[in-house]
Amino acid sequence: MSAKRLSEGGRIDRSKRIRFQWDGRAMSGHPGDTVASALLASNEKVLGRSFKYHRPRGIMSCGVEESGAIITVGEGAKRDPNVKATMQELYDGLVASGQNAWPNVRTDVGSVNSLISQFLSAGFYYKTFMGLPPFETGKGTGIWMWYEKFIRKAAGMGRASREPDPDQYEHGHLFCDVLVVGSGPAGMSAALAAAEYGLDVILVEQDNELGGDLLGQKGSDIELRRTELVGALENAGVRIMTRTTAFGLYDYGTAGLLENVTDHLASPDPHLPRHRFWTLRARRTILATGGIERQIAFDNNDRPGIMNASAGRIYLNRYGVLAGEQVVVATNNDSAYRCAMDLSDAGAEVTLLDARAKIPGRLLELIGDRGITLMTNSAPLSAKGLNGVNSLEIAGGKAGGWRSKGKEVCDLLLVSGGWSPVVNLISHRGVRPVWNAENCCFIANEPHEGICMAGTAAGIWNTADCEDSGTAAGEAAAKALGKATGSGGASTSMPAVGGWDMPIKPLYEVRIDGRKSKALVDPQHDVTTEDIRLAHREGYVSVEHLKRYTTLGMSTDGGKMGNIIGLALMAEALGKEIPEVGTTTFRPPYTPVSIGALRGRSVDEHFRPLRRTPMHDWNLAHGATMTMAGLWHRPWYFARQGETITEAYIRETETTRKTVGLCDVTSLGKIAIQGPDATEFLNRIYTNPFAKLPIGKARYGIMLRDDGFVMDDGTTWRLSETDYFMTTTTAHAGKVMVWLEELLQTRWADLRVHVTSVSEQWAGCAVAGPESRTVLKNCVNDPSVMEDSAFPFMGVIETSLKGDIPCRIARISFSGEMAYEAYVPSDYAHALMEMLHPEAVAVDGCLYGLEALGALRIEKGHVTGAELDGRVTIEDAGLGKMASQNKSYIGSALRRRPDMTREDRPKLVGIFPVNRSEKFNAGTILCKKGEVSGLGEGWITGVTHSPALGHWIGIGFISGGHEAWSGKTATAADPVRSKEVQVEIVSPHMYDPSGERMYG
Amino acid sequence: MAKRVSALDGHFELGRFGSDGATGVTLSVVKDLQLIQVAAWPDSMDEVGQMLAEQVGANTIASPGKSISGSTGSMLRVEPFKWWLLGSDAPDLSAEQGATLDLSHSRTRVRVVGDEAVALLNRLLPLDLRESQFPEGSVASSAIHHVGVTLWRSEQSYELFIPRGFAVSVWEVLFESALQFGVEVA
Repeated sequence: MSAKRLSEGGRIDRSKRIRFQWDGRAMSGHPGDTVASALLASNEKVLGRSFKYHRPRGIMSCGVEESGAIITVGEGAKRDPNVKATMQELYDGLVASGQNAWPNVRTDVGSVNSLISQFLSAGFYYKTFMGLPPFETGKGTGIWMWYEKFIRKAAGMGRASREPDPDQYEHGHLFCDVLVVGSGPAGMSAALAAAEYGLDVILVEQDNELGGDLLGQKGSDIELRRTELVGALENAGVRIMTRTTAFGLYDYGTAGLLENVTDHLASPDPHLPRHRFWTLRARRTILATGGIERQIAFDNNDRPGIMNASAGRIYLNRYGVLAGEQVVVATNNDSAYRCAMDLSDAGAEVTLLDARAKIPGRLLELIGDRGITLMTNSAPLSAKGLNGVNSLEIAGGKAGGWRSKGKEVCDLLLVSGGWSPVVNLISHRGVRPVWNAENCCFIANEPHEGICMAGTAAGIWNTADCEDSGTAAGEAAAKALGKATGSGGASTSMPAVGGWDMPIKPLYEVRIDGRKSKALVDPQHDVTTEDIRLAHREGYVSVEHLKRYTTLGMSTDGGKMGNIIGLALMAEALGKEIPEVGTTTFRPPYTPVSIGALRGRSVDEHFRPLRRTPMHDWNLAHGATMTMAGLWHRPWYFARQGETITEAYIRETETTRKTVGLCDVTSLGKIAIQGPDATEFLNRIYTNPFAKLPIGKARYGIMLRDDGFVMDDGTTWRLSETDYFMTTTTAHAGKVMVWLEELLQTRWADLRVHVTSVSEQWAGCAVAGPESRTVLKNCVNDPSVMEDSAFPFMGVIETSLKGDIPCRIARISFSGEMAYEAYVPSDYAHALMEMLHPEAVAVDGCLYGLEALGALRIEKGHVTGAELDGRVTIEDAGLGKMASQNKSYIGSALRRRPDMTREDRPKLVGIFPVNRSEKFNAGTILCKKGEVSGLGEGWITGVTHSPALGHWIGIGFISGGHEAWSGKTATAADPVRSKEVQVEIVSPHMYDPSGERMYG
Repeated sequence: MAKRVSALDGHFELGRFGSDGATGVTLSVVKDLQLIQVAAWPDSMDEVGQMLAEQVGANTIASPGKSISGSTGSMLRVEPFKWWLLGSDAPDLSAEQGATLDLSHSRTRVRVVGDEAVALLNRLLPLDLRESQFPEGSVASSAIHHVGVTLWRSEQSYELFIPRGFAVSVWEVLFESALQFGVEVA
């Protein structure tokens, strides 16, 4: 037996040689080859091993449905498993290897599995090993969990690299009037027709060349027609995307495309991504996705040397490879006759088996006197030869079945069991394809959501009809989009489904009752005809259950190869017709999509966008170690030479309480609230009164959600009669902004208020500590504005700093010290810090980060996002006095629900270790002493070492609050770290409870 | 007056980068943005719009998704009740007419020019930028890399207004994507 490269013909460039490696051996091919065609030309037969039984596998097809030649391409970090050799274009230096085999695919130790294959039927592993009798009977699956990993290792596909993916990927967006998927005769005609009506058309083709089926046909007239169409498309301005697969269709004309940019290149431009993931939005979609030829199930139908009839023809006409010399072509329909002719013309000895009894004269004329042996009423029964078919036992039809009628020596067996239109994409839109009994296939030709089918995808078989159907679809799209109206427009009518001279004979399996056979339905997952029958005997009725039980159609081809046969066998077993059994729903992706393409450029430091404060670079230059706060990077601490984080934040905290500290607080949310009704608006969203806030004053406010729980807190500054500046927590800035906008747009459209995020406009620095006023006095143009009388606690001023930098300052305190927040327009942030820092240093002050900020606020019992987690009422947070009794506001009704006002609700408390030398962690559960169980009585939200108190302290919630725990010890239980600490529950105001310090 | 520091200062280099061949895009950082937001009320839209049009030297009001450029500036209709004024001072409005807000420091302005400008922008922006859908003068809000941005097609170029804090992150993605086209940072 031998396959060979012919000296002429095909679309390959014989003048150039491409060298590549297959399983460590040097091979070669030509430009235009795929790995499959090059290996076939080198007469390589066994290219893979099957999933379960490790059966030898060769090339079975010429396209995306390939289920035999599944290989690994690339090495090291670039190793890409489960590549279909039929789709991988050859390039210089390509390294390919077989998979699921040891030591290699030709001599694979795992093939012993096929000797015991009768035991490895559907559900074998689960039935045998799950709840393993007698050890696990009725006890669960403990042992299974342990050895599942070994089972998984024995069966399977290729292995991905464990190294980080070195390639880049990207996303992109496309818009067009008409998307045409597939560039066969139908697709090209459709694109051309639509474009000629002035529509903006994108034509997507998964192959590297346009033409579809035309690429596999023989004859100069065919090529002429193809180039003519391609030229016309280019002239008409059609945007053509090759090596691009429409893998899914989504709502409103959205399509997902995967463009293979560099997988076919030996040394791609390093700036190019490997794949592009396109989101395309089209007004109309035409699916000219062609058809996939089906196999027939018979004994050993997966042997190397058995492939689709169309594939044999394409290898010959497109790649110049004659895949065998003694060829049997077995068919149940007209399409394989052209294949038999082309192979015979190329010098092969061809025997043609047709399952049909009578052959129409036109087909006989077609094969003419080529010397093709035609056997009617015949089908393949059993293939012989382990690593390559060497003969075929032939079945002859008899009443109600088949009988063996002798052997035919052959080195290639080409099978056509009919054609399945590719209805996958329309199926993604929830359309259920309809069984067409006359043509033995599912079609989905009802227009849906502006999507229409054309060509073989619509069940139309002949090239000329396909072109017409494409033109008709293109014209229909033009008409729907308001073009092609009036006389002369849209004149082509859609050809009827079908088009064969003689009807196809339904044939899915050839077997003789009582004779053992190994006939594959889904070769990728080693699902056999017996597995389907077994599933039926075990009571499976629904095709969806059948799929999951046998794993039919669940491999990387998504059922392209075997679904219809499986369905037909199930129908037969149930004594029903195929449409009664149903069809399975195709889901995206049509072909595999690399994970890299899904993530695009959102990887590593761009896994999510990084938000920088305007002081970011300044902070880093001054020794900040940064930490994440949402998307923000904020200074965590400013360690001096040799300091640990703990030493640093304790120093920063102490310095701030003693002299002054500076902290970047730009990440706080800032919202401008403007308009004649701004005051009324604020009064409705905050729990406390805002109607009488004077101009030049700030007020702390709490806002609730509709359900009465606390949403956020912050200060709002009144800048003028109609102009306010609101600050929010860092964590809830976006949420509050959206909430305010929602209220104005949906509930209170009558209020004349505009809200605008000014978080990015203003850079903020907290100046905290006894010396804070001194520092600011030295920075403002007019020091008198800082006088205590002019600028009291909760005052707000708008002034300017030296260098005429506009500045707004509020005297507010989060640290408990006398403190200010100073804001400047962001581009002046650098200048602000350059001014404040030397003044702070001059009074022995320092910079402080988030860790010290946390220590300062925990000592004071101030809440943040960690406490306001959506489960907390205003009373729980100890802020009940801020809930006005005299007005209604968002949340004012529902916060009075009985459960919200229970006395024993967890309330904000401070926590001290009984033994002051001990510490505990945030997240620890608080329980009654010695009763560590369940959810406990409360939890700890924040901890710090308190420099002021000299020991560890915490903030958190416990039922009833600190009054209920006075004199009692609680247990802080940390089951994760197996730690228990006895704690004392105290008031949350752990430092300076009277609040004297902040008045200065 | 102190000097303004752009979010991108120190985060880009001038020069030619990326693939050989033609330079498909030119990126430039426009410093010292002057951006005033003007918001009006439903019943004062016409009055305020007219006032702004006069101020920028134009004779029509910018409708939603559009901009009008006149002799002394541009007005961009960024929201139903809001305009952005570029190159012009805040108008004097009473609270009954509307509200003005200085946003000059809130955005970082990046200009994208070149034959591949649309191709580059569509790598990141889910906006239909075809000539028929996004002609000169169009304005749209969208997102790059999960960050809300405003895109304006001015007379000569595409202009991105990126929230200042995300400017470096978005610039990095924009620049990295631009390398394949051959990019000049000017």
